[in-house]
Amino acid sequence: MSVEINVLVVEDEPHIRRVLQSVLATEGYRVFEAETGARGLIEASTRKPDLLIVDLGLPDMDGVEVVRSVRHWSEVPILILSARAEETEKIVALDEGADDYLTKPFGVGELLARVRALVRRRVRGGDGTPTVNFGDVQVDLVRRAVARGGEPVHLTNLEYRLLAVLVANPGKVLTHQHLMREVWGPGQAENSHYLRIYMSRLRQKLESIPTEPAHLITESGVGYRFVA
Amino acid sequence: MSSCPPHLAFIPADAQYLVMLAVMLAVALLTGQLTAGVREQAAEACRREERTRRLYRLAQDLAGSGSHWDAQRALDDFLQHTGYRAMLYLSNSAGEMTPLTAEPHLHAALLETVRRAEPLEADLADPALFLPLKASSRIGGVMVVTASGPASPPPTAERELFQVLASLIAITEERLHATEEVQASRDQITSERLRASILSALSHDLRTPLTALVAMTDSLVMADARPSASDQPTPMALAAIRDQARAIGHMVTNLLDMARLHSGRVRLRKEWQLFDDVIGASLRQLRASHPEQPVRTRLAEDLPLVEFDAVLMERVLCNLLENAVKYAGADQPIEVEAWPDGGWACLAVSDRGPGFPPQQLERCFDLFARGNPESSQPGVGLGLAICRAIVEAHGGDIRAENRAGGGARVILRLPLGAPPAFEEEEGEGGAA
Repeated sequence: MSVEINVLVVEDEPHIRRVLQSVLATEGYRVFEAETGARGLIEASTRKPDLLIVDLGLPDMDGVEVVRSVRHWSEVPILILSARAEETEKIVALDEGADDYLTKPFGVGELLARVRALVRRRVRGGDGTPTVNFGDVQVDLVRRAVARGGEPVHLTNLEYRLLAVLVANPGKVLTHQHLMREVWGPGQAENSHYLRIYMSRLRQKLESIPTEPAHLITESGVGYRFVA
Repeated sequence: MSSCPPHLAFIPADAQYLVMLAVMLAVALLTGQLTAGVREQAAEACRREERTRRLYRLAQDLAGSGSHWDAQRALDDFLQHTGYRAMLYLSNSAGEMTPLTAEPHLHAALLETVRRAEPLEADLADPALFLPLKASSRIGGVMVVTASGPASPPPTAERELFQVLASLIAITEERLHATEEVQASRDQITSERLRASILSALSHDLRTPLTALVAMTDSLVMADARPSASDQPTPMALAAIRDQARAIGHMVTNLLDMARLHSGRVRLRKEWQLFDDVIGASLRQLRASHPEQPVRTRLAEDLPLVEFDAVLMERVLCNLLENAVKYAGADQPIEVEAWPDGGWACLAVSDRGPGFPPQQLERCFDLFARGNPESSQPGVGLGLAICRAIVEAHGGDIRAENRAGGGARVILRLPLGAPPAFEEEEGEGGAA
């Protein structure tokens, strides 16, 4: 048996819409299309998609606006498509609750990888598994214990908190602002250098090649992403 | 009743005294007048001296002013407490009035003043004096003087002073105008030159792959139209098309980046951070296109926080890594190092390729410079120029050298500055 997975593409460029449609359909997704933000919002509420792909540069409204509206009533994963010049809007969209972004032009492989990761998270939902494994690292979220290759790893309070926020959102891009708020509390936005230093320490402790991290990934100028 | 002489009366008993009295009175009045006149003159001299001193200071301020706003501000300072207000309305190069503040009701009087090139008195809401800013070559604008309060006399009372002010301002405006024109023509020349080199680079480096791309897709279309399905498009042909399209996309990105950096419209989003983040992100990008490329990283343990724009620095590092792979080949390891050196944070990318031709070491960061102009390597020589533009925008520098034992190395330095405070967390010892 197979469950139909619905993807809604909100994009005004017909070429890109067509490519997305054919690529996603080949992978077995059912694709709905909308060429304006307003149409997209209607489709999103009637089709109840499992994933939204939203272009930031829509003719009638800002893509950020679409993200914000959808987030009022739905936790559906949202993937942002952005042009290179839309750096700041991208961050705003992520802060508003978008899950991930792709910068145009993007490869199909990259697109499918992101889509799969987001859909998997959606289908599996917050399964609340008490342990997370990546590489040779095990994180026990109940006992707040971290081990690497079977050996316990000592993490400070803040290091653990940062790691916990990251592993709770696999595949999702977490902005600097979001992480600062979650780990250090509100009103710490201008102290983001703490985040960089703690991230570097986490990598030293948990990554096999800290300079080429495989799990605690940097999204330059945006934030960080945990990849299992 | 006997008459007694009235007390305290001044009755000249003799006509002689009467004359004397008149003379004395006249003398007294005269001296009084003269003394008062001298005192007034002394006060007037003081006022003049004060005014001259302030005019001198105004002239100094104006000489140092770098913009029209500075000139207006100097004028405001000068007129403070004098009971007058002066506004500058300037003509742009096309001869149109561009008021510093828009006030349509003044427009007719302003234009009339410029046309007549003479002071004009007008009674708008208040009496106002319109003075043309006459410079040697043109009328740069109009200064409008009004009384700042009802108590002040109309500005015509101080006409001479305001004429002096107007000529001072006129000289300043002419100087500012000339500076602007020089800058504009310099920008013009630079952008002309840039456009010429972009055009020549585009005509070669973009049209060649585009021609190939069109030819390849054409052949696919023709094959598709033929009924015999024997010659299906080979995966190889499709991969070649994809690679060409990617190369073109890459080039366009670089061109756009360069244009953006050159236009001066790039705002750096500087944040305090460590080099590891940007190195990790760049290596990840390199891995996407060259998964097997051996890379050795050596980062100093005590690398401090550095303030930079992460997105732009990632562009720098990606460009350097791509160059290294392009020229060194896929089997020689690329080395990435970072270390502090005095007031600088240094970052180097090295390879074991052929290195730079010695005469190119200095010029390789110039726009559209390429190691070997006839090289078959694609790319329009933008990569290193972008790197330099970005690094210099951060107040750093970048240089190239050839390594002992063969290979190229590019070293960039960013100033360290004063990083923000960092406190270790207290009572640490949470999760085991």
